[in-house]
Amino acid sequence: MAKRQEPTKLSPEERGKSFEEVEGVYLPHQAIAEAARCLFCNDAPCTKECPAGIDIAKFIRRIKTKDFRSAIRTIRESNVLAGVCARVCPTEKLCEKPCSATEIVESANIAALQRFVTDLEMKEGIKLPKKAAPTGKKVAVIGSGPAGLAAAAELAKVGHEATIFEAKSLPGGVLTWGIPPYRLPKDVVMAEIDAIRQQLGVEIKTDIPIDEKLNIDTLFAQGFDAIFIGAGIGKPYFVRMPGEDLEGVYSALELLSQVNAYHSKPSGGKFPLRIGKKALVIGGGNVAMDAACSLLRLGAKEVHVVCLESFEEMPAFPSEIEFAKEEGIVFHPRSKPLKIIGDENGRVKGFEGVGIRWKEPNNFSPSNAVLIEGTEFSLEVETVIEAIGQGPDPSLASILSGIQTKGRGLIVVDEETRMTSREGVFAGGDIVNGGDTVVQAVAEGKKAAEGIINYLKSKGEK
Amino acid sequence: MSGEVDLSVELCGVKFANPFVLSAGPPTDDVKMVRRAFEAGWAGAILKTTSVESEVVELVYPMMAGLDFEDKKIIGLGNIDLISEHHIDEVEGRVAELKKEFPNNVVGASMMGAKKDDWQSLVRRLEAAGVDFIECSFSCPQGSMGEKPGAMVAQDPKLTKEVASWVKAAAKRVPVFIKITPMVADVVEVGRAVKESGADGITASNTIPALMGINLDTFEPYPTVDGKSSYSGLSGAAIKPITLHIIAELAKHVGLPISGTGGATTWQDVVEFLLVGATNVQFCTAVMRNGYRIIDDLKDGLINYLEDKGMSSPSELIGRTLPKIVTHPELSREYKVIAEVNRKTCVKDDLCYITCRDAGHEAIELDKERLPVVDEEKCVGCGLCVAICPVWDCVKLKRVENKKK
Repeated sequence: MAKRQEPTKLSPEERGKSFEEVEGVYLPHQAIAEAARCLFCNDAPCTKECPAGIDIAKFIRRIKTKDFRSAIRTIRESNVLAGVCARVCPTEKLCEKPCSATEIVESANIAALQRFVTDLEMKEGIKLPKKAAPTGKKVAVIGSGPAGLAAAAELAKVGHEATIFEAKSLPGGVLTWGIPPYRLPKDVVMAEIDAIRQQLGVEIKTDIPIDEKLNIDTLFAQGFDAIFIGAGIGKPYFVRMPGEDLEGVYSALELLSQVNAYHSKPSGGKFPLRIGKKALVIGGGNVAMDAACSLLRLGAKEVHVVCLESFEEMPAFPSEIEFAKEEGIVFHPRSKPLKIIGDENGRVKGFEGVGIRWKEPNNFSPSNAVLIEGTEFSLEVETVIEAIGQGPDPSLASILSGIQTKGRGLIVVDEETRMTSREGVFAGGDIVNGGDTVVQAVAEGKKAAEGIINYLKSKGEK
Repeated sequence: MSGEVDLSVELCGVKFANPFVLSAGPPTDDVKMVRRAFEAGWAGAILKTTSVESEVVELVYPMMAGLDFEDKKIIGLGNIDLISEHHIDEVEGRVAELKKEFPNNVVGASMMGAKKDDWQSLVRRLEAAGVDFIECSFSCPQGSMGEKPGAMVAQDPKLTKEVASWVKAAAKRVPVFIKITPMVADVVEVGRAVKESGADGITASNTIPALMGINLDTFEPYPTVDGKSSYSGLSGAAIKPITLHIIAELAKHVGLPISGTGGATTWQDVVEFLLVGATNVQFCTAVMRNGYRIIDDLKDGLINYLEDKGMSSPSELIGRTLPKIVTHPELSREYKVIAEVNRKTCVKDDLCYITCRDAGHEAIELDKERLPVVDEEKCVGCGLCVAICPVWDCVKLKRVENKKK
């Protein structure tokens, strides 16, 4: 069997200089060659693994027969954010993982194939599935991240009027503000959001903060028949160690949000955060990897990552860790941060950490870490980014009143219907699952939309 | 999308919902299977060749052998299968059952006899059972019921005319198609014999006699039946160019309606079959490789293609290429092209250089950077370098002024 086709990729040297997209796109003959590697197996385990429900086997077959238009139509039937997902899906953990071709050589490169057809479509104009005639029902969607967008699109397709309320100035949530442009160019995000707006008639109201004026009661009072909450988790957690109040300490969310805002400005100007020549990221997840690689692009010459986990234990996807290693990020796995050191002007100048081992196996919480004496280390850094996780924004309190939550304030929903404890209020995405992939948010948005459609139907019948 | 394009075609008064039909073979030898094929979207099926009870065959196994090329499996398929093991008593029941359940699908039947009485009673019984379409197998290359082993009725124009006229005389209601073989010196002669017999159309064409290969350790040929084999019928993508030639010749010189078969795998192949004169296209090997489900890809692909072309029916394609197929002396001697290499996309595999050096006109040299340079004086524009270049958008032919004239 032929080898897996890899699209072009910027070299680590080229990458460090800008936020330009790292992964390239197939040329047509590469796409056909890669599609021809698909075994066309009856079981199509790839399709079963797609959270968004794309008929992967079918779209690959369409590429194989050079029918690119049918390929994209197949993808669009299931995913309005297919161009986004082609770039950010951890396909090695999802559709590509059970690929039958893996047993022979390597799995089919499903992400690159989806990227190929969605890029082709972008040039000609995205075409989403048609929407049904208006039903007269109105649904409010809180948050315009992937869960909210997917839910709104699904609702609009069956003829319900979906209105999204977004607190920020631009829609997209984590797609717009979180994922750095070198992994997800913002024109891709905006093209798909524009298609959802224009072709499905989804209205997105930006700059609408959630406050006492905008809550479940006022939305129902405004005539919405159901509400979907896909507000995400926007509050960063901090280690709570000495020195966190120094200048030069930021959360990864703030860094990435500034990166995205800065990048979208044509004039450039000075980056608003203090980025030193040497910088440190605390955390072992995907957000930490994004932060570390963004720091390099912002001019840091040496970027360290300190995390509690070993490489095998880190929550970041192996491909993301590999990516960061390629770029020269220095890792300090199985290390616990102790304190940040400041200079006389109240600015970060160093960091101290210590090696750890786990008390019990398979429990990666800080409280399970045992410090190993004699492994203390210090780093000279001018910037510290904390990327140790995030939770629901406290400002959501008004919207969440009367809705059952658990743990850090995550919303509890019915597994099947995705309804919260309050009738007519549904939820999905990070605010339910605590932080998962974009495609998982899309899946939960779609699933909740299905729940809303059924709910409105049964309500209508009563 | 399909609102604009109507895929249906009509062949001798029989309406097919789309041009995709299953040919007589393993995928049509069982009612349950044909039912699934119809449910999947195939417009019609020609049930595997049946015969009278006295002619029932006994098959051998294994009967299939693939022709692989480098890493590609089954670019051709050889079989030493025979006609259906189910004789007419069973098949007439199947026809009736399928017609009752799928009145809008075309149920055809392939048949083969040894004597005039057999041929005629087969037609009558199939018609009575409700068949839409009769196909006479005059061309199964392995184990035909002729006097000489391997000989086929369709290799003898006289015999073709005689047997076809028997069948046509017995058929009262449905069109009779004669399935011919590409293994003749002049297929037009055979086509004309079919026309003279009064039969309604030609199924063109069939598998090609072949030896599929040999096990180099045991010296036993494939497919190996207890140490031995016989010649196979070769089908699949490898024979498509042969089928296109046969269809084109028949369409140009005979003028009977044609059902195309032999090597069609994709919707693009179907477009080609129609362009040289077929009205619909029969599939077997492609389904044997990948199942009935390929019908989805075929239908969508053809619809998109027709939309792009601004056409509303596949019938608009039929025969469009025929005026562009001429005899060799009729081709322009004024037309002059030469090769042109895109130095930006060239990956320096030297393939164009090697092929031109050893099989062309030594017109390609490699420069200091190892990039190919075409000597415009030496290059005759044969096209071999274009055919061999593995890179997208690299070697092309460009038209130039013909200085010799």
